[in-house]
Amino acid sequence: MKAYRILAVAERVLRQVWHDKRVLAFMLVLPAVAMLLFGYSFSGDITDIRVAFIDEDNTDLTASILESLQADDAFDVTVHAPVDDPERLLLDSGYQAVIRIPDKFTSLYYAHFAMGVATSAQGTIDLTLDESDPQIASTIKMGLADALMDLGEGGPVRIDTRQLYGVEVRFIDSFAPAIMGLVVALISTVLTLLSIVREKVDGTFSRVWVSPVRRAEFILGYVVAFGLVALVQSLVVLTIGKGVFDIVINGSVAWAFACVILFAVGSVGLGTLLSALAQTESQAVVFFPLVILPSVLLSGMMWPIQAIPRVLRPLSYLVPLTYSNRLLRAVMVKGLEPWQEPVGFAGVLVFVVLTILLASIVLRQSAGERE
Amino acid sequence: MADRVPVFIAASLTKRFGPLRAVDDVSVTIEPGEIYGLVGPSGAGKTTLIRMLSGLTAPTGGTAWLLGSAMPAERRAVEHRFGYMPQERAVYRDLSVAENLLFFGRIYGMPRARIAGRTRELLGLMQLEDRGRQRADRLSGGEKQRLSLACALLHEPDALLLDEPTIGLDPALRREFWGHFRELNAKGRTILLSTHYLHEAEWCDRVGLMQRGRLIAEGTPDALKDEAGRRSGREGPDMEEVFLILTRTAVAGGAP
Repeated sequence: MKAYRILAVAERVLRQVWHDKRVLAFMLVLPAVAMLLFGYSFSGDITDIRVAFIDEDNTDLTASILESLQADDAFDVTVHAPVDDPERLLLDSGYQAVIRIPDKFTSLYYAHFAMGVATSAQGTIDLTLDESDPQIASTIKMGLADALMDLGEGGPVRIDTRQLYGVEVRFIDSFAPAIMGLVVALISTVLTLLSIVREKVDGTFSRVWVSPVRRAEFILGYVVAFGLVALVQSLVVLTIGKGVFDIVINGSVAWAFACVILFAVGSVGLGTLLSALAQTESQAVVFFPLVILPSVLLSGMMWPIQAIPRVLRPLSYLVPLTYSNRLLRAVMVKGLEPWQEPVGFAGVLVFVVLTILLASIVLRQSAGERE
Repeated sequence: MADRVPVFIAASLTKRFGPLRAVDDVSVTIEPGEIYGLVGPSGAGKTTLIRMLSGLTAPTGGTAWLLGSAMPAERRAVEHRFGYMPQERAVYRDLSVAENLLFFGRIYGMPRARIAGRTRELLGLMQLEDRGRQRADRLSGGEKQRLSLACALLHEPDALLLDEPTIGLDPALRREFWGHFRELNAKGRTILLSTHYLHEAEWCDRVGLMQRGRLIAEGTPDALKDEAGRRSGREGPDMEEVFLILTRTAVAGGAP
């Protein structure tokens, strides 16, 4: 493998992009428009938010709180034994909230009821909350308030909320990482697909295959070119996000770029893969909605995956952007390192390895079963 | 080319696509310094034969040798030494003329300065001097074809595989192309080209006539004419007549 041949392919692809001013404009305008257009919230009925319920009081009253939480479709409640550090439990076990009812909750609750407003005695519930998805966070708060309302009699209950990952995460803050992923995936997949199909149509493909260029070098050339493009697009999204919407970025921008580029690599692989299924450019266009629609609808980009009907939810986990969203949100909103979001990180890695491997097999066949 | 290894050898080459025998048991040997023309109608198997010799298509039977290396297995040993011009005007339409040459030069590992020199040289030769910065999709058909030939010649290969290099060119331009072929040949390049313009066969050192995947006759243009004259009893047939006579007798009497 020779670096100069990889760079030759990369330079050629970038020159082609540079020459086509429409594509160039599309590349820069798409992230800007996407970021500007989707500035507001979308919501469906959110269900199956993972909540841990720790009951240290164990009374009929606390049991009825648990019951109403369990009755709420929004939650998937797991009853958990008491722990020292609810925050750790949330981080390690992937819960989006930990509700802890302390010892003596019931007696304090009734004490307030008996003594009236004159007393400071009051039942308190600890709520540890993952705030990185604002729609989910507000659903949890509302659901818990509803459950307490169901108690009917009794005094007000104080909810001590501990919010993790940014105190006030707005929709737009968690939307920016999704836009970055979407734009990068679209451009890298679609342009790689079109470019390779065009090589087949024009015959430059066979010219490249009789040359010293190896399959891996060819793919890596595209990866380098679209990695750079992904970087520029991410900058556009972040600039507009910061400048227009004043988004909060809690994590490292460098990690975010690294993850976006990683995702771009997988998208180049996907584009290469799809190119094997199209002989002409108009056939290639057929694949665009196939890439775009599931990404927008099922990835948890516009609404949380918990808001998607249960029957469709498994499909979400087949959409690469689902993992990219988890990963980029973890890095940008929660300020985590990539591997601290194992599902998202592993998902993106699997996507990259799988598509690049399959792409190189597929390229061998497209090249005319050369070896 | 001092070693006199044959430049191209097809040894009982066969390529089947399903039930279709695109190339059927073809054996050809092309020596250094020859211009060898594969002649025959479209669909005769010329392109598939050239693709097998270039290593692009793996044969279903027989062996293809290029400069002593079996193709495609040992293609790495000779990939720098041959140039290939596909039948399509295979250039990047959204790159400029000079950028096309730059890309092909770089993937062959040529330094940029040398590519620049060769680009000047080739654009001069192909009369594209003032077209360097022009995008390829703005070129005329003939200009695009000249650029395509220039891309195959850029890295100064010893051997050239040209698939229908003159297709679609007007007669004047076709003659010009043949001028380039002669010139390259004079510099010691070996050329295997295909054409369905029968009279172009006259300009080759040796000709192979292909029909339905088979090589039905082979020899110098004069030898083929003599052969056709003998079989038909006609005096001095032209190449078109030669082809008609030889294909007819090949079908009647089996392949020679």
